[in-house]
Amino acid sequence: MLSVNESIDGNRSTCAPTLELDEIQATVLRQRPAPYFGTHAFLRVDDSPAGRKFLRRLAPYVDSAAGWSTATNAWLAVGITYAGLEALGLPENSLQSFPEAFRVGMRARARQLGDDGVNDPKNWDKEFGKGQIHIGVSAFSDSKEKWRRAIAIAREQYEGFSGVSVLFTQDFGAQPGDRNSLGYKDGIDQPAIEGSGAEPLPGQGRPIKAGEFILGYPGEAGVPIPMPQPDILGRNGTYVGLRKYQSRVGAFNRFLRANGSTEEERELLAAKLVGRWRSGAPLTLAPDVDNPTLGADPQRNNDFDYANDPHGRHVPFGAHIRRMNPRDTKLTRLTDVNIHRLIRRGTTFGLPYDPNALSDQDDEVPRGSYFLFMSAKAMATIEFLQQEWLNDGDFIGANGERDPIIGRQEEGATFTIPKEPVRRRIRGIETFNVLRGGEYFFMPSLSGLKWLANLSGAGG
Amino acid sequence: MATQTAIANRPKQDLAVEQQIQKLRQIYADAPEMGRVALEKIMGELEAAVYSQLKASTAGRIGLRQGKVSELTAIVKFTSGGAKRLRALLNVLGNNFQGADKVGTLHDMRFVFLDNDTKLLFATAYDGDWDPYIDDFATKIPDALDVLFCDAEGYPGMHSPAVRDWIAGNQITADAWYVASPNLTVAETKRLEKVGGAVEEFLDKIG
Repeated sequence: MLSVNESIDGNRSTCAPTLELDEIQATVLRQRPAPYFGTHAFLRVDDSPAGRKFLRRLAPYVDSAAGWSTATNAWLAVGITYAGLEALGLPENSLQSFPEAFRVGMRARARQLGDDGVNDPKNWDKEFGKGQIHIGVSAFSDSKEKWRRAIAIAREQYEGFSGVSVLFTQDFGAQPGDRNSLGYKDGIDQPAIEGSGAEPLPGQGRPIKAGEFILGYPGEAGVPIPMPQPDILGRNGTYVGLRKYQSRVGAFNRFLRANGSTEEERELLAAKLVGRWRSGAPLTLAPDVDNPTLGADPQRNNDFDYANDPHGRHVPFGAHIRRMNPRDTKLTRLTDVNIHRLIRRGTTFGLPYDPNALSDQDDEVPRGSYFLFMSAKAMATIEFLQQEWLNDGDFIGANGERDPIIGRQEEGATFTIPKEPVRRRIRGIETFNVLRGGEYFFMPSLSGLKWLANLSGAGG
Repeated sequence: MATQTAIANRPKQDLAVEQQIQKLRQIYADAPEMGRVALEKIMGELEAAVYSQLKASTAGRIGLRQGKVSELTAIVKFTSGGAKRLRALLNVLGNNFQGADKVGTLHDMRFVFLDNDTKLLFATAYDGDWDPYIDDFATKIPDALDVLFCDAEGYPGMHSPAVRDWIAGNQITADAWYVASPNLTVAETKRLEKVGGAVEEFLDKIG
């Protein structure tokens, strides 16, 4: 049976950590449990001193990554947008030390992100893109009971507290069988981070220099990525991106039915789009038939590379997981795959996947994903991924095609499945996950959070 | 309907084209006679070009781009002894730069020594934008680039956060950029060569 250590995330603590775990917010290094439950709360600071007081009250409950194998298995995380830092009264020279993409917010980076057409910010949900979101508080847990307790603590701090308004909240959790809104087990692959104290899971590859993910440590180039100032605010912090996707389940099911005449054909097609069967079993290890036991086993379900698949006959070059982590795929241009990774903490929301949903109305039933991602350069990485690996296919030999799961598809878009004797090219793939909002947050260290919460009021 | 809109826009377009052509004539009024005479002779072709309005786009932060192919043009001052060193390096490489194959996106690269070996003109046609991949160069080929750029004044080193600004600071966006096959990346060209070869072989076999 799995021990307490392994039940959360499968990682075992075996080597002495070299990162300041008691400073880093828990969610940065702690994997999403399975099953998982939680709530995101989005708040606006209407009054600077009140906002700082709120952070002072919340700070003791924000968990660090220290003792992660023995913790209570529920944790709070807090992130602050640029608008929020301004509202809290961060001095101007500190504000200016943040990267431009973070300062202007995700909506203003729509061109760099390729958020046009159906993903255009003008189509976003009304809560997003208006500079109203200042603070995001998330409570995560592996049990409903612990989740309720954690969110109750957070709620105590902000409810009825004048000067800080709740804009909206979103409960989330894995659907039956730990599946996302299109029916897939997701969030399997994660980067291994050097110095975190955890042994990499099989297939995660060698640990990547911590500085790629957490500010203040050397990155893969041997130097730390520039940090916001002052040092106490930036060090051990990271950036969090949020992209809210609405899953068009009707369109997805129609696509499977139009291009697969039996249940088996449809499941294989669903697998080819992603590179894993919906159970999570990777096509590389289960090329013809699904293997749900394999899919559910974190010690095996990521233990593969593409050395024996140079033509994409197991995992198409354009498949979602091969795009997002090419591993040892031979790319068309010089690339260091290790510097384009993201820590992912996606959370499913809304009704479960429905295999019989086929209508346009089904496309708008609220369900989808709050895709959350983190790294010390999260803005630059997501913009790179969107431009180079998601809305384009030249880098990997999927010319003229976009990611089949989260790409923003053009009219008449195709998806190519290499096979013998002749490749199969499917026409008319649509946008299955539509972007309905997003924002960039800064996730300070525990000391950074306390420093921010204790800024003096003069100057607003 | 499309044609009706096109027709409705014609008079407006004609006026705009007329104005642009007039402005051009005015600017060429003090050109050498040879040029003024030739301009009138090719006026028809120029009007057609103005109508078609196929403009170059930007290659991101700096530089022009046509379809998938971008241009980078830079002039840098050599460091003391830099010209000699770079010339020696290029000679060893046979006045070629095979290291470019590894990068995979460079159509061509030009190293031209100017002004008595005091300046270098560096020009390349490459796929996509350079900015997204600079960090990849810094971790994969930092030494090759350091050897190359150490001969250029002010180069901060591949690992410096200032390296993007240094490149952009020495780069001059072209005013015009023409590409014969704007959709042909280096990778696609190589692929089509292979496919073309295979088709020829196949036709030979069945012919």
